[in-house]
Amino acid sequence: MLLRTKGKPINIKSALVGKVTRNPERLDENSFLLVEGSISELPSKNFIGILSRQDEYEVINSENIVFKIPTLEHLMEGDIVSVGIDGNINTLYRVNSFHNTLLATERCNSNCLMCSQPPKDKNDINNLYEINKKLIPLIPKDCIELGISGGEPTLMGDLFFDLLSQIKTELPDTEIHLLTNGRTFAWDYMAERLGEIDNKRLMLGIPVYSDYYQVHDYIVQAENAFYQTILGLHNLARYNQRLEVRIVLHKQSIPRLTRLAKYIYKNLPFVEHVAFMGLEYIGYTPHNIEKLWIDPYEYRDELGEAVEYLAGQGMHVSIYNTPLCILPENQWKFARKSISDWKNDYLPICSTCTKLNDCGGLFTWNLKKHSEHIKPIH
Amino acid sequence: MINEKADKRSRKFREIDQFDLNEQPQYYLLPFRFHRITDDKEIIVNEVGDYLLLSNGTFERIVKRQLDKKKDADLYGDLIANFFISEEPIPPLIDVLATRYRTKKLFLNYFTGLHIFVISLRCEHTCHYCQVSRVTQNKDLYDMSIANIDKGIDIMFKSPNPHVTMEFQGGESLLAFDNIKYAVEKAERIAKEVGKGLTKVICSNLALINEEILEYCKEHEILISTSLDGPQYVHDNNRHKPHASSYELAIKGIELSRKVLGHDRVSALMTTTKLSLDYPVEIVDEYFRLGFQGIFLRNISPYGFALRTDKSKYETEKFLTFYKKALDRILEYNFSGHYFTEDLAKIFLTKILTPFNVGFVDLQSPAGLINGVIVFNYDGGVYATDESRMLAEQKDYTFKLGTLDDNYNDLFFGKKAQEIANVWANEALSGCSECAFQQYCGADPVHNHATQGDMYGYRPNSDFCQKNMEIIRYLIELMESDSRIKKIFERWAKTSTH
Amino acid sequence: MQYKNEIKNDEIIVFADTSLYSKDSIFKCLYWYGDKYHTNVSFADNNTYRVSVKPLSTNQLSQEEQQYLLLKLERDLVDYNLRDIVTKETQNVRDLLIAKAFSNGEFDELPPGDVSDPLGFNINQLKND
Ligand code: SF4
Ligand code: SF4
Repeated sequence: MLLRTKGKPINIKSALVGKVTRNPERLDENSFLLVEGSISELPSKNFIGILSRQDEYEVINSENIVFKIPTLEHLMEGDIVSVGIDGNINTLYRVNSFHNTLLATERCNSNCLMCSQPPKDKNDINNLYEINKKLIPLIPKDCIELGISGGEPTLMGDLFFDLLSQIKTELPDTEIHLLTNGRTFAWDYMAERLGEIDNKRLMLGIPVYSDYYQVHDYIVQAENAFYQTILGLHNLARYNQRLEVRIVLHKQSIPRLTRLAKYIYKNLPFVEHVAFMGLEYIGYTPHNIEKLWIDPYEYRDELGEAVEYLAGQGMHVSIYNTPLCILPENQWKFARKSISDWKNDYLPICSTCTKLNDCGGLFTWNLKKHSEHIKPIH
Repeated sequence: MINEKADKRSRKFREIDQFDLNEQPQYYLLPFRFHRITDDKEIIVNEVGDYLLLSNGTFERIVKRQLDKKKDADLYGDLIANFFISEEPIPPLIDVLATRYRTKKLFLNYFTGLHIFVISLRCEHTCHYCQVSRVTQNKDLYDMSIANIDKGIDIMFKSPNPHVTMEFQGGESLLAFDNIKYAVEKAERIAKEVGKGLTKVICSNLALINEEILEYCKEHEILISTSLDGPQYVHDNNRHKPHASSYELAIKGIELSRKVLGHDRVSALMTTTKLSLDYPVEIVDEYFRLGFQGIFLRNISPYGFALRTDKSKYETEKFLTFYKKALDRILEYNFSGHYFTEDLAKIFLTKILTPFNVGFVDLQSPAGLINGVIVFNYDGGVYATDESRMLAEQKDYTFKLGTLDDNYNDLFFGKKAQEIANVWANEALSGCSECAFQQYCGADPVHNHATQGDMYGYRPNSDFCQKNMEIIRYLIELMESDSRIKKIFERWAKTSTH
Repeated sequence: MQYKNEIKNDEIIVFADTSLYSKDSIFKCLYWYGDKYHTNVSFADNNTYRVSVKPLSTNQLSQEEQQYLLLKLERDLVDYNLRDIVTKETQNVRDLLIAKAFSNGEFDELPPGDVSDPLGFNINQLKND
């Protein structure tokens, strides 16, 4: 799935955000016109600018324009894009997807061995905030779910709370799923400030990889991260925030997995959801694969025990990113089709599988590294 | 620290050893307690009731700092993660532990929930172990007066608890059904006004139950609690009713009540007597056959036996044998796919296996009396527990807090209450203070007084202690030796928290 | 001076080094024997406790039972001494824990470590005032 493209910019002085349309009738002050062929006349309306595939372009009336864009096919009517001064066109929101995510920042205070979107030590916070601030009011009010991810979003500082306030105002009916490592919430006032925003539709997804601090700290490559995260979860619970614990399954997290399940029930019984997630072969993972890889088939017993224990205690549990054929049949009810449409794929052999429609399949990038035990169910 | 502080600007990956916060082989102990489970297994239990099963001698190694962080890595991790040891004098997660401790003692926040109204002392049964009831027609003397009902309700709604339970006991409570109706309707009115939850329970032997009464119960959402000691030969022997079978009446009553109110609105309690001890399997089977979800294997009442003598220990042994046989039978039902619980085990298991507690008045610390339950006797006396008012029938008024004419503070926080409060926390009792099962067990000053002659109690020959210690030990032994049992127990524990 | 644990005239006698065993632990241990035995603690010398239990007249023991009792007493003394060490070493943390449990978070500890990133995120600037 194509999410970014680039053309030649003219007149663009700052990052612009708007919806795209191919229909001049629908143009308004928040939209770009997509143009395949040539145009001779500008629509007589106020609009942001033109995105064009033409190889040459004559400016008609000092309009904002990006031309010579290789393709516009990936953009649907109503999708929201940002257009940079360098002519970069990034898709920020896709109307036909349930998996839209705002990028809060690429800065992070952890450095997880298996990070799928490795952090960047560049201060992007103000720029991204400005873009998101323009984006949020344009998102359709009936948007069902919106993710916020990073990096570590709370590093936005005050802007983090501004962003969430704006979201609550603009999208009161949208489920917001925020991915954070939770560490900063160890400082009670952070949790308190989030509590003040009081968005009942906000859920925080927070990773806990072990019940023993040293293992967790090693996995996330940060001292004291475990203690901070657990304290953060407790502070958030104190302010009635909805919480999800996320566990990535790999060679470092598997050995204490069943203990971790007990730890969660005993110490974090207030969490609403526990997600066990298969490893993604992207980001840092290929680099650290020696430290991380264990065939999912090899850990099915540990996973089964952890999942069944938590479910048995009445907790809501899911298994993500794990093909059905790896799991014993009695655990299929926990498996979710969790992989976003644009990164989802199957192996050639899957075509003969009777469970193809129920199975979540693989990440596209995991086609290169997957369980040896995938085999069609008949 | 040997390695210099990692360069913060570098995102170079570091090895696991570099995330050790404590390279010295030294750690601090956190509060926990120790008990031997079998000849080769011991357990340690932390301050919030989580336990670790260890092989013999491990406790000693922990205390004597003989652990090797590398060689005993799993154990070391378990001890840190479960709050048994810490690498710092004050563990980094002490505030989490404190929150968990508070959760375990949450029942204290609510204060008195259960209010027992002894609505009439009259009874038409003549059970030989019952030393309380009177077979008489004299309502004036043995029924609770309307004036006292009013005062009782008044006090009940002074409880800070957002949800109160009003339980009608006897004698045979249905002999005073008109008074129950009066009390129910008045309490409902006030509950609505002040916005408190109200649960109503009638305890009855069901001999007098009929459709009319049940229709009323249905309309007012009243629960029925009855007595059933087991199969007919056990029950009728225990519960004597002139010219009739108490058992048959109870069974008929249960059926009729279920028909009108719904299956789960009717519960039954058994009392273990000397005779019951010979029929563990039959008693369990009877409850199962009747479609109950479980059975509460209740201790022998201390009033049935002369517990002040050495005989008590022997009687407790016999009860424990009975209990284990019955529990075996119950587990058989569970192995074959049924859900059928033993409710004493369920209470213990909830405390052992979950981060929650159960508000069960006999097994709490601070004790459940006053904090959890209060009894308004038919004659206007106010007592700390049901056992307390039975003592009063034997002219022992130790646990009489006052009368319904006294004011709330004098009753609940007066001299008597304070005297009891000195001995109601097992954390501070000899024997209990270092007992590994302290968090699972409780304190029962009334029972101590009744059986041993003083509220403080003497653990070495206390039947309360002997029973609880062995049952808890046995439950742990069972589930640690058979993973099927552990699964069943986890399920029991879970269902009692919801 | 070396003492040997023994059974003499129905009395079970165990010796304990005062530098290894606390007085409290000995009394806590003997507490559990009090319903069936006469119990006694004295000094064998400056550095040694002499701990003894003797069955009450109503509680006659066979030789075998006496041997078992000796073993049990020795083991219990060790156990109670270890328990006593834990109790004493952890008393302060326990008191702190309970004080915290019944507070409303006002005595919370500062979180350990820092949460900065390589660009220097500063958590302290975010405090509400
Ligand atoms: S064979 Fe393919 S489609 Fe079938 S369960 Fe496995 S991964 Fe899923
Ligand atoms: S009564 Fe016995 S089992 Fe219960 S806490 Fe006290 S010593 Fe332990």
